Amino acid sequence: MTEMWINMGPQHPMTHGLWNLRIKVDGETITDSEPVIGYLHRGWEKEVENRTYPQIIPMSDRLCYGSSFTWSHVYCMAVEDLMGLEVPEKAKWIRAMSDELQRIGNHLMWLAAIGPDLGNLTIFLYAIREREMFLDLFQALCGARMTYNYCRIGGVRNDAPPNWERDVLRTLDYFEKRINEYEDLVDRNAVFRMRMEGLAYLSGKDAVNLGVTGPSLRGSGVKFDVRENDPYEVYDEIDWHMCTRDEGDVYARYRVRIDEMRMSVQIVRDILKKMPKSGPIRVKTPRNAPVGTGIGRMEDPRGESFMYVIGDGSDKPYRLKVRSPFFVTLSAAPHMLKGYKVADVPSIMGMLDVCMGETDR
Amino acid sequence: MAEVQKTRKDKELGLTGFILKPMLLTLKQTIKSTIHRPQTVQYPWEKIVLPDVFRGRPGLIFDKCIGCGICMRICPTRCIDLVTVDDLKKEEGKPAEKVKRPRVNVGRCMMCGYCAEYCPTNAMIVTPEYELASWTREDIIYDPYKLQFPGVPGNEVHIIEVLPSEVKKEGVVPRPNTENKDLPILEEKKCISCSRCAKDCPTEAIVMKEFGVNEKGRPIKRPVIDKEKCVSCETCVEVCPKDALTMSEVL
Repeated sequence: MTEMWINMGPQHPMTHGLWNLRIKVDGETITDSEPVIGYLHRGWEKEVENRTYPQIIPMSDRLCYGSSFTWSHVYCMAVEDLMGLEVPEKAKWIRAMSDELQRIGNHLMWLAAIGPDLGNLTIFLYAIREREMFLDLFQALCGARMTYNYCRIGGVRNDAPPNWERDVLRTLDYFEKRINEYEDLVDRNAVFRMRMEGLAYLSGKDAVNLGVTGPSLRGSGVKFDVRENDPYEVYDEIDWHMCTRDEGDVYARYRVRIDEMRMSVQIVRDILKKMPKSGPIRVKTPRNAPVGTGIGRMEDPRGESFMYVIGDGSDKPYRLKVRSPFFVTLSAAPHMLKGYKVADVPSIMGMLDVCMGETDR
Repeated sequence: MAEVQKTRKDKELGLTGFILKPMLLTLKQTIKSTIHRPQTVQYPWEKIVLPDVFRGRPGLIFDKCIGCGICMRICPTRCIDLVTVDDLKKEEGKPAEKVKRPRVNVGRCMMCGYCAEYCPTNAMIVTPEYELASWTREDIIYDPYKLQFPGVPGNEVHIIEVLPSEVKKEGVVPRPNTENKDLPILEEKKCISCSRCAKDCPTEAIVMKEFGVNEKGRPIKRPVIDKEKCVSCETCVEVCPKDALTMSEVL
């Protein structure tokens, strides 16, 4: 048989953003593939070198449309490390709570995206409907629906509004029932299961060697989560456990994400119980950072996100490096795709939770 | 070729699990969603109720503004500039006084709310206005008069903070950032007595005082800063031709 290269993208329903997956096919079987990115490159890392430290926070929100809070959070952690700032106790709890609400929102966005990929529009409508409730929560908290600009260097922007605890608990109670509905719709749907099981097998050893992090790594049976292995903020005081699966296929990654949504619900409930009721939430941000370096790492909904900032004594960073979790996962795609059919590509790639904003930067 | 695992399917899903149960579930969902109320809103006619803290376009309370330019400096997209306009209050028979007020290019604004947050007099506020489309680009550059918005108490954004040195202490009360002011300090050697800082100060916090005469017989003037009036806007630091003024940080 002759082999040929096919371009999937940059305009393709599978891609979720602008990127190109070049696949080499032998008949229907994929023998080689190559992700091509750069269609969404905005020069983010260079652009922030012309902004002062507080001005970068709303820009880091725009790295990813799905999980903007976690990106501003990791930026603030890096700059706090550089400036040597101590975060007040209550701000840490609020940050952890917002992280988990954001994780649920982002996983719902992923669920909404893979539904149409695999031919199920109902799950798209359901997931978007529930995501709306979490956007409403964030809107009441900080005034915006997607680009929150809520995290600050040394705390958070404002305290939770009145009745916040009641609203969150109500939403979580409603949402827990809805997760069961998703499981009925997806897990027990024969077509979905046939398209997910036994696809894109990635062994734990390969996943570690390829640098895959997040739910895709935990779906391969590797117990690694920055929240547990290198606890930041208050995650060592919260009652929770890591969600892993051993199968290493697409269905395992799906299950890990659904389990993480349940776990996030549990974490937010625990945080609301343990959070201090009063206290400072923000420290004054210094104008200039000292000469030196700072790092911040945390568990993004897609994996481990990392920022490295170099200060040169002025009010602008000398360099800011972003380690995007999906960029690394995307580089592992050729390994995952090899040997499967062309029709499996949307299922395999969609399950990795594609976000091009943070990948191209 | 990667390994393929197909174990679970044979265990869990038989014929009923494969065809009948999903169909029943789907039917259940269909009935459920037929009888419950709609999830959508008929947008141009109905609108979702927004909280007071919602960040739409920035708004201005004209009389509170002092024209200090903090909003202009903090704006990440640099969409704010200061323009000289006629004051709203004017006495009979006299031409209105000229004042500096911010003008916002809303087409470039990213609704981050920084201008409202850092405003020392709470003249800039966040407004719940989000329908900003217009026919021309000139229309979405909001001059200070068009930018005005009455505002409700929730529209103001405050910074309630403590100093980094106080975080670990017990019983520290969080306070507005206007109480932890950074003040400009003067480097005596560099000052050339030009008085530009005093002329440009929006709050008239800088007064030039004479300290004797120099060898040519001209007066030596040095700025004296009133700590109460200063809003740490950095205007004097920017206009100083000899970089004699710098901000001292309170940490």
